Amino acid sequence: MLKKFKPYVMLAPVMFIILGIFTMGLALGFFQSLGYFPAVGLKEFTLRYYKEVLTDIGFLDSLKFTLYTSFVSSTLALIIGVLLAYSIFQSKSRKGVLYTIYKLPVIVPHSIAALLVFNVLTQSGILARVLFYLGIISEQTQFPSLIFDQNGIGIIISYLWKGIPFIAMTVYTVLSNINDKLTDAALNLGANRRQVFWKILLPLLMPSILSSYIIIFAFSFGAFEIPYLLGPTSPKLLPVKAYIEYINPDLSHRPYSMVINMVLASYSLILVWFYSKTFKLFSKFDEIS
Amino acid sequence: MKKNNYIFKITMYLLIFLLISPLVILVIWSFVRIWPWPNLLPRDYGLRGFKHVLDPSTKSLRVLFLSVGLSSLVTLCTLLISIPAAKALGVYEFRGKGFFKMLILAPIIVPPVAVAMGIHIAFIKLGLANTFLGVVFVHLVPCIPYAVRILTNVFEIIGESMEMQARVLGASPLQTFIKITLPLMAPGLLSAGSLVFIVSLSQYFLTFLIGGGRIITLPMLMFPYIQSGDRMMASTYSIIFIVTALIMLLIMERIVRNYYKEQNYFYI
Repeated sequence: MLKKFKPYVMLAPVMFIILGIFTMGLALGFFQSLGYFPAVGLKEFTLRYYKEVLTDIGFLDSLKFTLYTSFVSSTLALIIGVLLAYSIFQSKSRKGVLYTIYKLPVIVPHSIAALLVFNVLTQSGILARVLFYLGIISEQTQFPSLIFDQNGIGIIISYLWKGIPFIAMTVYTVLSNINDKLTDAALNLGANRRQVFWKILLPLLMPSILSSYIIIFAFSFGAFEIPYLLGPTSPKLLPVKAYIEYINPDLSHRPYSMVINMVLASYSLILVWFYSKTFKLFSKFDEIS
Repeated sequence: MKKNNYIFKITMYLLIFLLISPLVILVIWSFVRIWPWPNLLPRDYGLRGFKHVLDPSTKSLRVLFLSVGLSSLVTLCTLLISIPAAKALGVYEFRGKGFFKMLILAPIIVPPVAVAMGIHIAFIKLGLANTFLGVVFVHLVPCIPYAVRILTNVFEIIGESMEMQARVLGASPLQTFIKITLPLMAPGLLSAGSLVFIVSLSQYFLTFLIGGGRIITLPMLMFPYIQSGDRMMASTYSIIFIVTALIMLLIMERIVRNYYKEQNYFYI
């Protein structure tokens, strides 16, 4: 009998934090989004705030902009990351500093990533100076503003700088664990390298590619630092918009910020569900190989 | 075949160059005194940034030590509570295992912004807001998933058989844990610990909201400089951040390796 409860007891401390802070935080946010906020005298449940926020043009613009930056940045990071992992894998001499140095961005926080992009891409940044030196532009203002811009270029590039090494690291680890015999057999049977990549390696890599894709997608959708530092004044990305509503001195604005949070959270919960599906897919592949 | 290799090499070097060169520029910026447009290199170098940080009267050093202390404590707490949880998930079969796994991993994906704003009011009521303890608690949320995920993999590999043998031969549970389990999981513990430390040290929003401006960490000192476009100061803080992180990772590796050496006779 005691044995039956053992795993639950061992899980208890972690669950105390997860349920007590994570789940509780989401639940409290959910109640406030429904207008239940006793601290300021709001005690009635209502869908009013959802209706107002979800039909607000400013919100919809922010939602579109957030989806666009996170989709573009994570998809590009995925493609370039796989390319980087594969090219490191292909260039046979795999030792030396160069082959580990690409992991450096993983330990650098997003706020520093924003600064790096700021250093390079502002109108007085390094790129503008190089272009001036090469005679392509003759003054600062000719350089397009890529920071605080409506196309989110600065945000996207910061996420790329963080995302590419992350994807490359994951993919490279799996790639170097794949049995060489599989590729050798395919090559022996007359497959060319392109076929080996598309028909052997990519399917084996797919589960880990997909799950790390979901991680960076979800992260760039809900993270605060980079859009706060590099985003345009309008449209704002959703996490920044939620924060601005949150710090409004008029506390009756709180439910609006919580509605935005709930949109962020429910979107990512759908992604968690996907994430667990890809893990199941992964274990299936394990059985085959 | 040869030509293909060439293309891959160029792609690799180009991508690594694009990833690393901004860091080189960051290092240069932290030593700049004057770097006017359109010079490709600074006109004059100086140590103003580092002097500012190391000057005892600016409290930057205190913030640095506080950040390292906070993140070390968070790392220790995370590992302590994640080890039993990871063992439960990695070794035992029980009802609801899939559900627990998913719930524990969820904070990686659900935005911390939503969680922090929701829990803030409860933390205020409990007196945890604006305190060191409150910040430690809220940092545990993004850290736990990484630690549990890595350590669960470790326990899936090492299983329980070695521990069982020790127990059968008369070792106490504590002896078994210290002499068998811990050395076996040392590499996993190292990578989990390093990752958790970095995650905690990088937190801006959680510290900022729950710490309420009372608990100031390194990223919070850095933020205003990035916002105001003071590239020299922001770069200096960034370099200090990166160097601190690297030093702490090295220290952790040393500790684990020394431990390994002492315990090495187990593998003979």
